[in-house]
Amino acid sequence: MQKIVNVCTRVEGHGEVKIMLQNDEVSLANFEFNVYRGFEKFLIGKRLLDIPKFVSRICGLCYASQAIASCKTLEDIYNIEISEQSIYLRRLLMTAELIKSHSMNFFFQTLPDLLKIFNISKNTLSPYELIKFNPQLTSNLYDLIKFGNEINEIFGGRSVHLISIVPGGVIYSPSGKLILLSQKYLQKALTIVEWIIEDFIKLFGNQIPPEDFNLPNTICLAKNNHGIYDRYSGSLSLKEDKNLIEFEAQNYTRYFNKEINLRGIDFFFENKKNVIVGPFSRYKIIEKYDFDKINTYLEYFNKSWTNNLLFINFLRLLEIYIESYKCIQILGEPSLNVRKYLPSFKSIKKNEGIGVIEAPRGTLIHNYHINKNNIIDEIKLFIATEFNIPLLNQMITKYAQELFDKTGDIKLVEKEVQMIIRAFDPCISCATH
Amino acid sequence: MKPRFNIISLTSCTGCISTLISLDIFPQFLERIKINYFLFILDSDDIEECEIALVEGCISEETQINLIRKIRKRAKRVFALGTCACFGGILSLSNSKKAEPLSNHIEIDGMIPGCPPPSKFFGNCLINLVGNKDIILSEKNMCANCPLRGSIEINSHIKITKINPNPEEIRLGEENSECFLNNGILCLGPITRDGCEHKCIKMGLPCEGCMGPVSKDFTSNVVNFLSLIELSQELQKYTGIYNRFSKPKINR
Ligand code: SF4
Ligand code: SF4
Repeated sequence: MQKIVNVCTRVEGHGEVKIMLQNDEVSLANFEFNVYRGFEKFLIGKRLLDIPKFVSRICGLCYASQAIASCKTLEDIYNIEISEQSIYLRRLLMTAELIKSHSMNFFFQTLPDLLKIFNISKNTLSPYELIKFNPQLTSNLYDLIKFGNEINEIFGGRSVHLISIVPGGVIYSPSGKLILLSQKYLQKALTIVEWIIEDFIKLFGNQIPPEDFNLPNTICLAKNNHGIYDRYSGSLSLKEDKNLIEFEAQNYTRYFNKEINLRGIDFFFENKKNVIVGPFSRYKIIEKYDFDKINTYLEYFNKSWTNNLLFINFLRLLEIYIESYKCIQILGEPSLNVRKYLPSFKSIKKNEGIGVIEAPRGTLIHNYHINKNNIIDEIKLFIATEFNIPLLNQMITKYAQELFDKTGDIKLVEKEVQMIIRAFDPCISCATH
Repeated sequence: MKPRFNIISLTSCTGCISTLISLDIFPQFLERIKINYFLFILDSDDIEECEIALVEGCISEETQINLIRKIRKRAKRVFALGTCACFGGILSLSNSKKAEPLSNHIEIDGMIPGCPPPSKFFGNCLINLVGNKDIILSEKNMCANCPLRGSIEINSHIKITKINPNPEEIRLGEENSECFLNNGILCLGPITRDGCEHKCIKMGLPCEGCMGPVSKDFTSNVVNFLSLIELSQELQKYTGIYNRFSKPKINR
């Protein structure tokens, strides 16, 4: 058996594709990481209220999601309700993070693949060629990244590892002037993303995506707030074809779990199907976004798209639109603009807490357990990318097998499978917590 | 000729890199340089020769030692980007893993500290690098320009019982003018380098020291400082203070 290892490029973090060749056939392709940092281990024994700022450092792209999931877990343990204002602010910080994360992934990581797949460019464009490819698209995407970043700075105090996210809510500090500025940014973001969405439709709407990128039958997992697009509140849902199960987060072990100190998530589905999380699942579970305009945009894409991995690129743009719109409304809320003190964390009510949110890349679950002395003795983190890995490996194995069969060119296979990996937008920092 | 850059991540959260890409000068920065190696945005094969290497993350694996030596060999100047690369960073909290700063293995030409580096400071550093200049760090500590103006004497009258205010006690701007140390809350401002514009303090939280020490080693500075004041029994044993962003030199 021959093993071929290749470092992935244009992904967030350090990951490798390992391809196994046996009797001149690909037997397996796997997406792997070498470095694990062990957050679940070294956070044991740390002070409960310190955990959110530590877990923020798991990831420089999903920092707000990590910190907020952690705060929710502590609020569960202490049985604390946070103010309406803090919920607004958390949503706002999560949106700013999403705008940045989705835009960076789209521009630097997946757009060059899309252009090549649909023969719009002959080879994969370098960042320099990409900038020149469509200068207006470039400056629009830079602007989106900038707006997301500025809003994180204004309401979070920093570009990543936001200072204002603490157990009990969000420390609120911006002046009226800065709120107005944020409103302007988001209004501009809305116009820009509309332009990008329309450009996307023009470029790709009447094309047929390659079948190699079709998703196999999977089980979707996402938060579900009565069928409304919402990454902060709600229960969890699983959906396979038309069958939808809704369940409360504390019952997750019925469907999946993980072994302490072992990598990966174990699923307990009889049919052994793989799970997908992220924009695709969020869309499948709610079925319809609560925006007429968005639903009109969706009509440009027929069946050949809606079950294709490349469709997720479009869904990411739609999410930027929806969230920018919702946050403009948040910024106009009167209850936002008052100085509020945070609740106090006096007594522990439970020995276990769970916090769930939808990070940009999908469902994120924190689950902490504390012992008799109120010291944290077990931490489980369920990371979006970890949910997706089995499906991702299933897809790249099939793709590699077929492409190698057809071409016999292993160098080509090494390069091309990465397009599937990038379309998943894996977050290696998170997955190597 | 445009300076060539290698931008590399070791064991990190990628937050310094994502901050770099989000800087408003990033488009101009890209134009003024030539990217040789930057896996986040470019299909790069090998680490080639360059004028400047920016390295994010700490060294946690043996294999990274050879890598960092290679990076050093192929670059005219190497800069540590972020607290992980400068001092070890968050992974210092781990007992079982190493979290070494670059300088444990190679000579560096300067550093851009912060977790992540504050945007304005980071932007200025890049302008200097592109102009072939050095990075200039403040020689002052956080207290020197602190909005809470603590002209406080560091001695055993300072009694510390908390490392953070409780959530309900967080006070902002006009609501608070008292140095944290006077309120029994540990602020690492006295030993931490100025340069972040007091971001945490302005949010009502004490300095955690992410910009690193004004001089010499991180942990020994913390220990020295704590030995001068009175720390509650409970906190004396808490590794979350000592190993927040760096390990003692002997067990990095
Ligand atoms: S210094 Fe902070 S932001 Fe930078 S890589 Fe390390 S943990 Fe992430
Ligand atoms: S100890 Fe902290 S709060 Fe006090 S003056 Fe120094 S930086 Fe400011």
